[in-house]
Amino acid sequence: MSPTIKVLPDGDDVAAETGEALEAVLARAGVALSLYCGGRGLCGKCFVEIVGGEVAEARDDERVLAARRGLGPRFRLACRLEVAGDLAVRIPPSSILPRMPVLSQGVERSFLLDPAIRKIRLAVPKPELAEPEGLFDLVRARFPQESLTASPDGLRSLVRAWAARGPGDEITVVLHGGRELLTAEPGDTSERAYGLALDLGTTTLVVELVDLISGRLIDSAAGLNAQVKFGADVVSRITAAFGDPARAEELRRVLLDGLTGLIESLRTRAGVDPGDIYEAVVAGNTAMNHLFLGLPVDTLAVAPYFAGFSTLPPVSAAASGLAINPAGKVVVAPNLKSFVGGDISAGLAAVDAVRHPGNFLFVDLGTNGELVLKSGDRFTATSTAAGPAFEGMTIGCGMLALPGAVFKAAASSGEAVAVETIGGAPPRGVCGTGLIDLVALALRRGRLSPQGHILDASKTIPVAEGLALTQRDIREIQLAAAAVKTGVQMLLEAERLDVASLDEVIVAGAFGTYLDLENAMALGLLPRVPMEKIRFVGNSSLAGARAMLLSREERARCEALSGRVGHENLAQGPAFQARFVAALEFKEWS
Amino acid sequence: MDDLNALYGRMAEAIVSGDAEAAAALARRALAEKLDLPAAIERGFIAGIRRVGELWENGEYFLPELITSAACMKEAMAVLKPALEASAVAGLSRGRIVVGTIEGDIHDIGKNLVASMLAAYGFDVVDLGADVKPDRFIDAAVEARADLIGLSALLTTTMLGQRRVIERLRERGLRDRFKVMVGGAPVSRAWAAEIGADGYGENALAAVALAGELVARGRRPS
Repeated sequence: MSPTIKVLPDGDDVAAETGEALEAVLARAGVALSLYCGGRGLCGKCFVEIVGGEVAEARDDERVLAARRGLGPRFRLACRLEVAGDLAVRIPPSSILPRMPVLSQGVERSFLLDPAIRKIRLAVPKPELAEPEGLFDLVRARFPQESLTASPDGLRSLVRAWAARGPGDEITVVLHGGRELLTAEPGDTSERAYGLALDLGTTTLVVELVDLISGRLIDSAAGLNAQVKFGADVVSRITAAFGDPARAEELRRVLLDGLTGLIESLRTRAGVDPGDIYEAVVAGNTAMNHLFLGLPVDTLAVAPYFAGFSTLPPVSAAASGLAINPAGKVVVAPNLKSFVGGDISAGLAAVDAVRHPGNFLFVDLGTNGELVLKSGDRFTATSTAAGPAFEGMTIGCGMLALPGAVFKAAASSGEAVAVETIGGAPPRGVCGTGLIDLVALALRRGRLSPQGHILDASKTIPVAEGLALTQRDIREIQLAAAAVKTGVQMLLEAERLDVASLDEVIVAGAFGTYLDLENAMALGLLPRVPMEKIRFVGNSSLAGARAMLLSREERARCEALSGRVGHENLAQGPAFQARFVAALEFKEWS
Repeated sequence: MDDLNALYGRMAEAIVSGDAEAAAALARRALAEKLDLPAAIERGFIAGIRRVGELWENGEYFLPELITSAACMKEAMAVLKPALEASAVAGLSRGRIVVGTIEGDIHDIGKNLVASMLAAYGFDVVDLGADVKPDRFIDAAVEARADLIGLSALLTTTMLGQRRVIERLRERGLRDRFKVMVGGAPVSRAWAAEIGADGYGENALAAVALAGELVARGRRPS
């Protein structure tokens, strides 16, 4: 008769085989234990309490690990314990792998904490004269199933760390992906491991400092991308760097300086040493990814607009220029195709696009509107030359979503307009979502024709004291909205999908946060779908970068996307022109 | 004469309102009634497209209206063309222009619009499409014995190619043979001057006016 394991606190009974590792039995029962060191009995994170039944004595090293955590003799490592008979075990919450939420809004989804970076404390006593084993061989022997590799730098740090080892011959090794020894440190530093998630926006940079042991987000910092001095939109950055390596290097420098400043402020606030940050995941659009890595952008500058890379193995932190442990790694979210870059692949990772059932449209409205359509199992992406109108760039009174920007407008008494500004400051200008509200309101009030002609004798659409939209501004908004609308229509057409077959429309980017859906649909920017089919997911690029930092599975799934996403080139062909021109009319569609 | 003026008025109106059927019917009527075709074109249809230009200038008309009107013009001219050719009416063409979007750039809506407006105003247009190599512009212009070369670019990166065409014209000793006009979203008057182009058109209508001016300048004995 096979042994039965009672799993507390839930009280489920699970059948086991004699000699089976308790960890495997529990995994079968759906208990996700923290097997940080890969079940090698090295990390002490999978202790369970034996509350009934007989078990063999623990080995010395296991007893040391338990004592370090202040645990009594009834606590045993589930990865080491072989089942010999019926047992009752209680799983302490601290031994269960935490589930990390992906997005703060829009998607209820989580993943199991499984970062590529592992720090493991080892006791490595001095080898005997009779058996003078090499240090690296001694370390490697602790990970028998894995062929551990190390660079000369990694080996150097191992020898140095061992020479400076603490009491109990303790050193801590830092492993990447379970295969590579990145570095080693004297003593036990296994509780200190941090990572960074970085969103390289054309306009804004955001950095998150994440605890790689607990998965906890410690803090985040955001700042303006100082590259804006080379131009507001991504094409102007490409132009600046095009055929001019010195200028490209300057763009990289400016970007890195901005990131260094943000990292510095995060570290200072949290009291984290740069040497304890071992990995960073970077998500930016294709051009940003290139500029960050110091790659020429020339191939993005002219047709056929192709990237220097899609997926990339992790690069060395030292070479990346990020101010973290130089032995660490930097992972760049894959560029999908052409201008559909790492921000989108990370965003798709955040919404778990691959396992998402049904058809959806993913819309990221930035300077370049990026669109991804999932139709059945197929992904098709495109980017639309929406231009920077929604960032306020080509609009007389336009501005970025900064304090004082009108981001919402609604009808007030009579012909008046009630506006809301960011931060409640006096209105200084209008940002993208405000433009959409104002145009939709003017249409409803009959002050603007669907063809975009201002019907008022004043030839303006008043916003607030000293602010008004002109006929020219309306034309710019028409062009930008039509670019997005045409992109959506042509993607749907290429996949022979109608709007009614869309199960979901996912709106990513900061733009989505304040977007009035009713107004966006009234202008035709988004197709008319039932409101419950629309989800705002906020900065999904950053969320995806964090998921890739904390989960190897999430990372692998994101990287697998790049081979699966097809590309639809919009700008070519007479069909595009006819559609685009028809799409200039403000009109809802479905 | 009143009748004739009324007819011209209806021709213009057909273009302004974008009524292609009416435009074609009026063109057929001009043939049937053996009207003076150059006069009918100039005072009827062209007058209409001029009015469209005014409506564009004051913001009432936008791209869709412009494109529809240009298409009407094309319909009417297609009806009249055989008769015009048969009667060998000389000097009706306002000039011959080779247009295209520059190498490395696949965006051609703006260029298409310029081409159709030029055609609507009576220019002979050779449209080379998008992603056109510098020498192809020149070869086509030589072959068509064009007056003008029109270069379009949508990206700040590709507009550099406009300079290249002018350089190639110089290298081939053909710079004086053709007037060169440039346009596109990132292009400016200053850029046109910098690269030694003969002119810059901010939009399709400005391009038409510019083309007329450049052709006149080119034909004036110097």
